[in-house]
Amino acid sequence: MRLLVTGVNHKTAPVEVRERLAFDQTALGAALRALMKRPGVVEAVILSTCNRVEVTAAIEEDCQADGMLEAFLAEARGFDRQRIEPHLYRHEGREAIRHIFRVAASLDSMMVGEPQILGQFKAAYAAAKAEGTLSGFLETVLTRAFCVAKRVRTETEIGQSAVSVSYAAVELAREIFGTLAGKRVMIVGAGKMSELAARHLRRAGATHMLVTNRTRERAEEMARLFEAHILEYDRFKAALSEMDIVITSSAAPHYLLRKDEMRRVIEARRNRPMFLIDIGVPRNVEPAVNELDNVFLYDIDDLARVVDSNVQARHKEAEEGEAIIAEEVERLMERLSARAVAPVIVSLQEQLEQLRCAELERVRGRLGQLTPQQEEAIEALTRGIMNKIAHGPIAELRKNAGRPNGIPVVDMIRRVFRLE
Amino acid sequence: MHELSIFWLRAAAALYSVGLLHAILTVLRRSAPLFGPAIGAFRVGVILHLVSIVELGVSVGHLPVDNFYESASVCAFLIALVFLFVHWRYQFASLGVFLFPLVFVLTLVGATEIPVAGWQNPRVRDAWLLVHVLLILLGYAALLLTAVASVFYLVQERHLKKKQPRAFFDRLPPLGTLDNLITRSMGLAFAFITLGVIAASTWAFVESGTRWIRQAKIGIAFLTWGVCLGMVFLRTSAGWRGRKAALLSVFALGLGAVTWAAHVGLRSLLTR
Repeated sequence: MRLLVTGVNHKTAPVEVRERLAFDQTALGAALRALMKRPGVVEAVILSTCNRVEVTAAIEEDCQADGMLEAFLAEARGFDRQRIEPHLYRHEGREAIRHIFRVAASLDSMMVGEPQILGQFKAAYAAAKAEGTLSGFLETVLTRAFCVAKRVRTETEIGQSAVSVSYAAVELAREIFGTLAGKRVMIVGAGKMSELAARHLRRAGATHMLVTNRTRERAEEMARLFEAHILEYDRFKAALSEMDIVITSSAAPHYLLRKDEMRRVIEARRNRPMFLIDIGVPRNVEPAVNELDNVFLYDIDDLARVVDSNVQARHKEAEEGEAIIAEEVERLMERLSARAVAPVIVSLQEQLEQLRCAELERVRGRLGQLTPQQEEAIEALTRGIMNKIAHGPIAELRKNAGRPNGIPVVDMIRRVFRLE
Repeated sequence: MHELSIFWLRAAAALYSVGLLHAILTVLRRSAPLFGPAIGAFRVGVILHLVSIVELGVSVGHLPVDNFYESASVCAFLIALVFLFVHWRYQFASLGVFLFPLVFVLTLVGATEIPVAGWQNPRVRDAWLLVHVLLILLGYAALLLTAVASVFYLVQERHLKKKQPRAFFDRLPPLGTLDNLITRSMGLAFAFITLGVIAASTWAFVESGTRWIRQAKIGIAFLTWGVCLGMVFLRTSAGWRGRKAALLSVFALGLGAVTWAAHVGLRSLLTR
């Protein structure tokens, strides 16, 4: 059985190409059925996400499959094959397995370590399973890929740190407060970024939220989103000492919060830590506020630096992930190769058994009447001889199954014993 | 007459001990469930304290500040009066966390002027001493934890301030967790050391009468307790965190080590 993968991803194709090649969930079944009608295709799966469209197929060993998957992709999506050809990548055999493992483990994702791809891969697997296009070889590879992805995620820290500005703010809040349950959050200026950060904070357990904005309508809109209370814009400073986290994203042309004001606020809080997230441009909080003890001020650039550092850390972790994948590819190749020589072993054993039975039948007439004990002794003798003859070749077959240079040995044993 | 004055003083100390209990509970539980009874007992204690001082003053014919014990008693009384005034005028209840234990310990020391009869049972004597040692060691262990957690807090705070968080974040707990740990361990340290000091004072009073108070190592021990008291007060009233709190806890731990070193020969006291 041969394994082929072809497709496009965010590295090889622009979004204009990816969006035209993408398969809608409702069209996936028909596409899989069409693919299975291609000559030699035994198993198939199609993975289609916003960053990747790829077709994987297990085809018969002797099938001429050059360009078959590429042609299918072009035809299925009504695309000129010449136009997509430069954007396609192709993998076969061991490289295809490695590629599938890397995709499932999120090492090939736009944001290395993102968790969605594994879910999308599992959905593609479920769709193929529902269409009956998985039956053995490819299914083994895919289920192994899910285990490998889990192993990479468990044994490395590839998915540990925040890689978006809004989520980085939440991670920092956790570093300051530990749990965010019961923490009080004030949103000053109801912009899109502050909405995102507030959404993450809410999910992390911050339940008490206050929103203030120059335009009351927008404040009401956001308050509805987060079940927050509205605070008059000109009175928000009076409530600051009660707040643990303050997100500012006002369009004010000057600082809304200055060091002296915040000194009084932190004194009123009896030095309980306070986290200020200033995502306004121009900045809303005087940078010197960060000099105050127990006040932690992060502006948009600070958060971006945290994200950069986390992304770099993920790439470093990805190197460990690659090592795990290399090890897992080897392990699976050995298993698959061992499975490939199983029919040869069975065939050899059948051949020798037929030989034994035929020879026994041939000499039986000359032996005359035998007692049951004598029959049993002859059976045991001939079986023992055959087993001893078979032992050497079977051991060689098993030993060479997983080796790259083992194929000539397998072929030679086939020829010597006249195996089909 | 003199004995009667000491009796009233000891009764006042017993009432002040409710305030001490309030201070310990406040530090451990971060709430003040006993403040009402404590301030009530404190007021009655102040009256009995006044009776004691007046009786002694009448007896000696002047303000009784002739020796260390009498001075400690008058000092405790004045502090108690000041606290009652501040509480009446400004409702500054959290000052009690600092002043209740201080007034109690000063009054306790003042009440040891007249020796009591010696130990009736040597086993009680040894057990009492061992309880003191155990309490103090538990207190020092908690103080060590406070100091280590405070230094970790400081390091984590610096990393968050520098805004280059990655390197250390994974290895240190969040500030909130460290803060909880510091509060709890500091409360325990204060409770154990206070009880240890009381156990030691009463033991030494019965054992040595009035001689023990003049020793230098006793002064160091009281200083250590005083620093712990100050640390707890600054934490609960002013919310001291970060650098200042870390330095103070390390200083308290250092004083604790000196006190320990000064008392290493205590084991020999167990065998007469």
